[in-house]
Amino acid sequence: MSVLESIALLGATLLVVGTVFPAISRNPTVALTLQAAGIALIGSGGALVLFGAPLIGAEFRSSLDPALGIDGLTGFFLATLALVAVPALIFSRDYLAGVKRSRALVALCGLFLISLVGVVVARDPSLFLASWELMTLVPATAILVRRSDATVRRAVYVYLAVTHLGGVGVWICVLALAHYGALDNPAALAAHGSALQAFIIAAAIVGFGTKAGLMPLHSWLPRAHPVAPSHISALMSGVMIKVALYGLIRVLFEWAAPPPLWVGFVILGLGLLSSLGGVLYALMQRDLKRLLAFSSIENVGIVALGLGASILFSSQGDTTWAAIAFAAALLHIVNHAVFKTLLFLVAGAFERAAGSLDLDQIGGLLRRMPWTGGAFLVGSMAIAGVPPLNGFASEWLTLQALIHVALGPSLGIGVAGAVGAAALAATAALAVFCFVKVVGLVLLGPARRVEVETAVEAPPATRGALVFLAGCCVALGAIPGLLIPSLMELAPQPRTLANGPGLAIPGTGSLPSPWLLFGLLALTGLLWRLRGSKRSAPVPSWACGQRIEPSLSWRSAGFTKPLRLTLEAVFRPQREIVAIREHGQLQSLRYRSEIPHLFDTLLYRPIQRGALRGALIARRLQSGSVRAYAAYLLALLLALLVLARIGAIG
Amino acid sequence: MNALAGAIQLIGGLALAPLLPGSIQALKARLQGRRGPSPLQPYRELRRLWGKSLVDPQPTTLLYRLAPCLVAAAMILSLFLVPIAGLSPNWPLGNDAIVLVGLFAFARFALAASSWDTGSGFGLMGSSRDLTLSVFAEALLVLALILAALPVGSTDLVAMSSAANGSAAWSQPAHWCAAGAFGLVVLFETGRQPIDNPDTHLELTMIHEGPLLEYAGRDLALLQWSAAARHWIILVLAAELYLPHWGGFGARLACLVGGVALICVTLAFTETAQAKMRILRAPALLAGGCLLALVGLISWLVS
Repeated sequence: MSVLESIALLGATLLVVGTVFPAISRNPTVALTLQAAGIALIGSGGALVLFGAPLIGAEFRSSLDPALGIDGLTGFFLATLALVAVPALIFSRDYLAGVKRSRALVALCGLFLISLVGVVVARDPSLFLASWELMTLVPATAILVRRSDATVRRAVYVYLAVTHLGGVGVWICVLALAHYGALDNPAALAAHGSALQAFIIAAAIVGFGTKAGLMPLHSWLPRAHPVAPSHISALMSGVMIKVALYGLIRVLFEWAAPPPLWVGFVILGLGLLSSLGGVLYALMQRDLKRLLAFSSIENVGIVALGLGASILFSSQGDTTWAAIAFAAALLHIVNHAVFKTLLFLVAGAFERAAGSLDLDQIGGLLRRMPWTGGAFLVGSMAIAGVPPLNGFASEWLTLQALIHVALGPSLGIGVAGAVGAAALAATAALAVFCFVKVVGLVLLGPARRVEVETAVEAPPATRGALVFLAGCCVALGAIPGLLIPSLMELAPQPRTLANGPGLAIPGTGSLPSPWLLFGLLALTGLLWRLRGSKRSAPVPSWACGQRIEPSLSWRSAGFTKPLRLTLEAVFRPQREIVAIREHGQLQSLRYRSEIPHLFDTLLYRPIQRGALRGALIARRLQSGSVRAYAAYLLALLLALLVLARIGAIG
Repeated sequence: MNALAGAIQLIGGLALAPLLPGSIQALKARLQGRRGPSPLQPYRELRRLWGKSLVDPQPTTLLYRLAPCLVAAAMILSLFLVPIAGLSPNWPLGNDAIVLVGLFAFARFALAASSWDTGSGFGLMGSSRDLTLSVFAEALLVLALILAALPVGSTDLVAMSSAANGSAAWSQPAHWCAAGAFGLVVLFETGRQPIDNPDTHLELTMIHEGPLLEYAGRDLALLQWSAAARHWIILVLAAELYLPHWGGFGARLACLVGGVALICVTLAFTETAQAKMRILRAPALLAGGCLLALVGLISWLVS
């Protein structure tokens, strides 16, 4: 057994021991430490494989004998998982202190990690599908263990219903691939013609796309993510939806490869819809965790844009740019995992400190919680895609890929690339809009709640975990170039590219990210010195001479109003103003405004209504009479006999 | 040559930038039959502000006080990216067009965050409008940059500028569309009519002036210089990529000066002739620019 295998096995053992540990001990610290050590070891094993160590364990097989293994792509996802799971576990120790049933939550968190690791290391269909189902069910259980009021039960119900209906696609796709022996021999599928390949790819897009939260299959995501405990939300948004993308990548780029051209257009289109739609709805949210959930849809969309661009490049034979676009998608996966985990964890800390996640009712937390707030600011800037942080690096690379799709010779592909590039640019601008709003309403300005005045900074361990994640945002933004060669090696047609710490890609003006970071810091410092520490006079902010009362302060709805008015046709906001008059005099006004989620009202509700109507019709068959059931059996038997007689079956 | 271009990039950007808004204002006053301020007025403003004391609205955080430095730092870095007459010394910052877009977004983020910090309605009104329009403007900017990148297949600004050199580029309809689309970007980024009115401090109409309202002294000086630098960067970029220029370095430098002057005159004329449009109409204008750019791209791809 090699050293690498021993590391991975030791990690797996520690993770399992950490998961069952709460059954024998009340102390969560030991269990969480074991889990963190285990996942860190597994992740470092994965990282070693990613950076060139030999593969561990078995290859993919189409038979149902369980097998495990780690290759480059698996290693990448394991490393990403470990990078965010360790801080999330450290965070959860303080977060769960004093919470009812915290032992169960600790155990479930470990089980969730095992299922996530299981999906990416599974090398056969049975283990893959078992881990896949476990990955869906465990967070649902964790949500219900923590809270079980009616709204939460409803959210979990929708989550399970949608992911299982969509998840059928995963079963169909994986079992069909196994049936035709395509898991270990991708060429096997080609022999059966393009119709089968198209069917399998469509099943994969529906199945994995539902779990990844690609619009319009995302309906469960903004319901389930906000109600989970913060560290579970962080793992769901940061890692679970990425593991769904892992499945999609395996199918599109390995098992059913090479995908035909239309797949590139479909993935690009889904990415465009998800990125723009996700960020537009995120912008209109008032609840911080719900906003973060919608922003996850946006970021999955950005990854899909990269994957779509990669398919379009390979169909044109441009393997270098195909590999670059593929690497851009993977880079965005790890970047999003880091900052989304950070933001969800901080949201949990804020909920503890301020007692609310309603954006309109927090305000001014940066003064009370400088460390947590500072980490949140870094994470927000990273997710908004402003340089020099990591979000900008991967969005820059994805945008460059789309621009180079647009420069290509073919008309259809070129226009698709240009539309994708414009949509990504608009998405980036909307993300700035969205996260400036979040930063402003949560961290800055006057406190809007009494609890904020007495909020206390998070405990040191939590603080350390958050600062570590913020540091990752800066580091991944400064040296993305060190990752890119390894990520390009994972593309179906690997290409190498000489690269320094920045991104020196041919056909671009290059993104020398370390210099950008250094330049911004140095110039800001220089200007700060120049500005000097002249005495400044404290004054109230200017509001035409009035005091800024809480009722005058700006809220989420006011800040986003220009955009809501501009895109009224898209959002279709509903307003209701009720004036209560007595004796012809206005007594009071009641105002309510809402932005309906159009996918729910226009897409899901009609389907739901149709399904219920179908169920009503089907219920008529269920008369409860034994004679009727005997007649059904007889009819079925006769029908089968007739079919066998005419040769349709058997 | 490279050293000269680098010197113009830096010294020109730092020192000459305030001349652009100053001369536009002076020319506009003449066109409107007023004597108006001298083109050097922005320099006097900056000198006056530099000597003044600061104001610290309560309650604010460090972010509010850092914002002017962050905005100005992003603008100074942007100066290094834009080539002068098709040349740029090998600064370690590269010359990528999309990095420039990112630095502008960084400045926008910092300024909008500062207006949240004061909580003042005027700043927030300005930033929310600015951010709304930026959604459309950024898409338009990227499309216009794609059109300029078509002949060379690269988003390197130096290469793009060389591709626009000579008359060959103008035989392509795509280049004309790109010039038109970028014209709208110029209007938005410099905050000129019909999208924004730089002369007004009337809260109901202002966009870019709003977030500056609380600042005083050196902070305000830095922000006003940044607004001037934004004029410089966008106008030089427009002249380098989307206006005609020929020949070697010297000739192109003359073309650059002429091009920037031409845009200044055009802006002064537009501001005199054209009233400001309703803010909610501006996105439609910018989206129209996006369509124009897409038409340009299609004309390139079919030919």
